[in-house]
Amino acid sequence: METLQRNWYPIASSSDLPFRHTFHGQLLGREFAVWRADDGYVNVWENRCLHRGVRLSIGINDGAELKCQYHGWRYANRTAGCTYIPAHPADAPARTICNRTYPAVEQYGLIWSGESPDGEPPQIAEFDSGVPFALRPIPVNAPADLVASKLGEYTFQPSARIDGDGATVQSEIGPAGCISLMSAEDDVASRVLFFVQPVDSNRSVIRGVLCECPEPPDEHAVLMHHNQRVSALRDLIEAEAVKLPTPEPMQPVIHRVSEELASMPQQTLSGRTAPLRVQVSRKWDAADGIAGIELTAVNGQLPTFQPGAHIDVHMPNGLVRQYSLTNGPGETQSYTIGVKLEPDSRGGSQCMHEDVRQGDVLAISEPRNNFPLRRDAIETLFVAGGIGITPLLSMARALGHSNLPHELHYFAQSGQHMAFPDVLASLDEALVPHLGLDPQATGKQLDKLLGGYEPAMHLYVCGPGPMLEATRRIAAEHGWPDESVHFEYFKNTNEIDDSSSFEIDLARSVMTLQVPAGKTILEVLRDSGVDVPSSCEQGACGTCMTTVLEGEPDHQDVYLNESEKSSGDCIMTCVSRAKSDRLVLDI
Amino acid sequence: MIKLYDYELSGNCYKLRLFMNILDVEYEPVAIDFYPGKEHKSEWFLKINPLGQLPVLNDDGFVLRDAQAILVYLASKFDRSGKWYPTDQPELLGAINQWMAFSDGITSTSSAARLHDGLFYDFDIEACRAGAHRLFRILDEHLWFEEKQGNSWLCSADHPTIADIACFPYVILSEEGGISRQDYPAIRRWTDRVKRIPGFMVMSGVFPAGPAFKQQNQEMSA
Repeated sequence: METLQRNWYPIASSSDLPFRHTFHGQLLGREFAVWRADDGYVNVWENRCLHRGVRLSIGINDGAELKCQYHGWRYANRTAGCTYIPAHPADAPARTICNRTYPAVEQYGLIWSGESPDGEPPQIAEFDSGVPFALRPIPVNAPADLVASKLGEYTFQPSARIDGDGATVQSEIGPAGCISLMSAEDDVASRVLFFVQPVDSNRSVIRGVLCECPEPPDEHAVLMHHNQRVSALRDLIEAEAVKLPTPEPMQPVIHRVSEELASMPQQTLSGRTAPLRVQVSRKWDAADGIAGIELTAVNGQLPTFQPGAHIDVHMPNGLVRQYSLTNGPGETQSYTIGVKLEPDSRGGSQCMHEDVRQGDVLAISEPRNNFPLRRDAIETLFVAGGIGITPLLSMARALGHSNLPHELHYFAQSGQHMAFPDVLASLDEALVPHLGLDPQATGKQLDKLLGGYEPAMHLYVCGPGPMLEATRRIAAEHGWPDESVHFEYFKNTNEIDDSSSFEIDLARSVMTLQVPAGKTILEVLRDSGVDVPSSCEQGACGTCMTTVLEGEPDHQDVYLNESEKSSGDCIMTCVSRAKSDRLVLDI
Repeated sequence: MIKLYDYELSGNCYKLRLFMNILDVEYEPVAIDFYPGKEHKSEWFLKINPLGQLPVLNDDGFVLRDAQAILVYLASKFDRSGKWYPTDQPELLGAINQWMAFSDGITSTSSAARLHDGLFYDFDIEACRAGAHRLFRILDEHLWFEEKQGNSWLCSADHPTIADIACFPYVILSEEGGISRQDYPAIRRWTDRVKRIPGFMVMSGVFPAGPAFKQQNQEMSA
């Protein structure tokens, strides 16, 4: 069994994976859900949803994600990471919710996979000279070794003499343990290779491939010929198999979620880790003053992202900046960010524009989503100002792909300033540009757009601070409740007042610490060896949010909305402080 | 108004609900307590159908039994496209009737297995399942070769017919009788296509397919 698990086997024909279909496969007892995404990538996954174990092979292939039929959990192309849980529409699923994937290689008209196969799938010299032609696969209720031994007795006519009956057939064991048969009559010959897929201990699939595609008018007759002959052989094999004792079904190990994934993540000594190495695979002008940068993994697969997610980019000059991913659903082969050159750059955007070149390797964090997108709104409005388009682009692409109602209002200086024009073009009528408006005209336009609030509508805003403030104010005037208005600031332009000093009690760590004037809670925590995650460290991104159990926070961030701030039960430890003498934190 | 003597969990009743939904025909369902009440064997119902079977259709006094016969009646009366049961195409019509007879075989095997497992009928379950697998092998082979010739449906036409509607329910419900369709990939692809027919509706145990508009557009432009 263990040696079999190291082999590559064909588990499906290429034609078994048509547009938006999910194939039900099995190898050595283990079931697979096999599906081709719209970008052509073939996914071979464990056939069970991580939630309730329902077969994913009855799920919906939407071309970018596979959706479980039971509770609608969505898993992304390539990564198999969960991107959305309908029962928790306001939350970003943990990155660790990721299904088990198996290797997939498409060659010779077949999909090859394995439990944990060595190296690459076999290269078959017999297929090099012609165009391999996959026959109809035939399932057999018999063990694979019995099937393989009987295939040596297979007889058939060469493709060019399909109506004859005088061919002589020679069989031998071919490459990768296949059964290679050569049929010859007069001066014509054909070779067919049979691979036996061990589905389970007593079930197999015979997958035949002709080394040479028949001439077009004969294709059908050749397929029928082999189908009839292999089916007849199948009946003989099955008649023999029922006389043998039925072997016990194979018991594939359903891997438990690893300790590391099931438990809380390890805390790190620096809040801002950059575990991923990516290469700048493409850099281009995405608009006037905006660089488009595509990042591809140096090794392996990039982790799953969700619409609204951002990454920390660690730059050659030592600075760390956050950039939103613009990718559409299932676009998991690279991350694409947009970087605007800021005239008053403190070195971040300048470095990305001037120093970073195609081919450079950068360190980045895993994607983090503090700006999650709900998919249960009756209508979603996106309001983007300038480079604030980036997270909203990813969101609009996700809703557009699922045909969910939305509009993307893009406020920009001019058409030349609109980023990623090719992607924008794909949004069709969902995109509404508002070009060259001054602040007053922008306000008027927003007033018009936000007029028709109804319950279960949601608004997502990203853009420069003043525009964000205006949008939030106008939305509130039109009756949008705080929980329906979602926003993300680029940076916190508030003047931070760090003159207070107070005490923090860490409820879980059982520690009491003093926060003096001039130091942040985050710094005090780290100085004492208590680590918390962080990203922007200026009160904009929401990564360091911590629960407050007692005391009155002095909020100085731009991440929380007014109701969250007034509830007083959470705090951004990177900038916010205490109005009371003491804060009890859930750390 | 058409009356359909109906049982929610019956695949043969479902095929009529499905087809009337596709044709946009209004009807009034009359719920029969098939299980556990055995109302279809009651005295009053035997007067309507002496065979004691569902479904039965009553169209303004015209009473018709047998799901396949009712499909023929509905198509002939209400299908303005003339494609679901094209009486002017002898070969196609013959093929449709061949596969409708085949659907009765699916009922007597796959549906019987489901009645055994779900509603405790006293049937030889192994014989039911073996019979269904024998038919599914034939169906899968047929559909695989139809696909190779560019046909998506049971009968060689560029559109579905009532043969597809007749065979679909007890194929898609087979797993409720312990009959896996894993070995029949061409059947699985065909059930996806049936689920994408405009007007398709589900019943308990039948899940919808996702949209595949792009492919349809590509096929139309090809």
